[in-house]
Amino acid sequence: MNVVTVADSEYDLVAMARALVAPHSDPPTALLRQQRKLPTQIGPDCARLLEDALQKIWPALWRRDRARLGAPPFARRRGWERHPPAPLQHTRATVDLLRWLVAVPLVSADVATLPATRLALGDQVAIYLALEIAGPVRNVIAQQPFVRAAPLAWLGFAHLMEGEPPAFDDLVTGSGAVVIEALASEIAERWRAVDVSKRAMKRPSELIALGAAQDKTLRAFMTACEKRRELATFVIDAAAPLLERGIAPMPTQLDPAAALSVRSAAREAAGALLRAVIRWREWDDQHRAVRFIDDDFDRAQGLLARFERIGRVGADRAAAWLAELASLAPTTASPSDSIEPL
Amino acid sequence: MSRAIQIRVSESVVRTIHVEDGVQSPLEMLPVLGAERMAELLATELEKRGFTRDGNLARRTDPDGIEVTVDLAASTVSVKIGAGAKLSEEVQRVGREGQEEELREAAIGELERRLEAQTEALRREVTARLERKLADLRNELDGAIGRATVAALTERAAQLGKIEEVLADDAGNVTIKVKL
Repeated sequence: MNVVTVADSEYDLVAMARALVAPHSDPPTALLRQQRKLPTQIGPDCARLLEDALQKIWPALWRRDRARLGAPPFARRRGWERHPPAPLQHTRATVDLLRWLVAVPLVSADVATLPATRLALGDQVAIYLALEIAGPVRNVIAQQPFVRAAPLAWLGFAHLMEGEPPAFDDLVTGSGAVVIEALASEIAERWRAVDVSKRAMKRPSELIALGAAQDKTLRAFMTACEKRRELATFVIDAAAPLLERGIAPMPTQLDPAAALSVRSAAREAAGALLRAVIRWREWDDQHRAVRFIDDDFDRAQGLLARFERIGRVGADRAAAWLAELASLAPTTASPSDSIEPL
Repeated sequence: MSRAIQIRVSESVVRTIHVEDGVQSPLEMLPVLGAERMAELLATELEKRGFTRDGNLARRTDPDGIEVTVDLAASTVSVKIGAGAKLSEEVQRVGREGQEEELREAAIGELERRLEAQTEALRREVTARLERKLADLRNELDGAIGRATVAALTERAAQLGKIEEVLADDAGNVTIKVKL
């Protein structure tokens, strides 16, 4: 057995990289809380171990999706069968992220800022995985300019973002699109959970900020993936169970002392996911118009099949909820704590 | 032996404030006829309810000060209310010699806090008045839109043939019999 010796600080870096890939076997909780001084450079053995850990990201991504078979318009094959894995590109930014996660105690009040930098796709995946494992310090990570420069972080965690999202072009072509396919189901679950949580939100300003970030993200992503609309099927998967069970994102517990204009803006902001469903309905109309002799017929049929989960009935319900959210005097919905897990 | 000198600082303010609250909402109308004709029919219904037409806008100011504006072209309704008040406050602070500046700052801070609290109280009162009104207003506008839609359907039916009978029940359902 080949034993490699690394410094303590390097061990932590490797442990953090492994935690990103396999958080269940290497929980990162202690590493995120600690403060550690790191030397400016890492040794070749540490670099090799980091590379080894990061190489396992692809299998980790597909494992997260439980190696699901592709749904229309994808072929009914596993992710790695549909797309032969190409190595994810990492830059120095991934090491900078790992060093920051290990060196800075994220539970402290004064956290050193991680400045924005140019990110490769591998860096973005590392950021996404870091947000995923961060638990109670997720907000601290999401506030970093470095993280807000990652479109994948916006797509997965729009509810934690502020400002303007970066361009999503890298995520709708090549390996970026494959990453989105692999993460689609968990992105959908997260968007759904956030929509349910809107029902219990009390502060209008928070809901306005959340809705604005979600609207910007969905608008920009759906525009970017006009030619790869299947990448936005997470919107359907997020909204379908809510529409089916009548769980509207109606914030019934907004602070009654707040001005009506503010509460009204908050209610309207709550409909971000529903507005994306309406955009899907427009796409659906276009897919219906694709003829048998057209080149895109098979793809359009696949997308029609996916939207069937919501269908006209669901889309009409989404439109009715949006109208209710924007109405002068909304009717009251049942409180969110009566909702069972979806 | 030195004698302690007591300082009394007094600050007062008179301020006129204006608070406002309001909401805007889209109006949902079935496109039975062209948008312009639908707007005309809605305007007619609104005029029956005390609105005054001004181009694409229909306005009404209720006795309680609530202003309702319907934009017929954009199909939106804005409801707002404003209120003003003249606030006057006085604060006194007592301290020792040499503390004058400190006392003055404390008095001014206290005045600002009191004015802020009174402004917020007035804003809440205005919001509560508006909120009480909205449900009735929604019903009223729904009624106007319903009548405008029936008028539009009747017009449309007349375009298709000769109207023989128009039946309306208590639930608001309307049946139009047309001979083609």
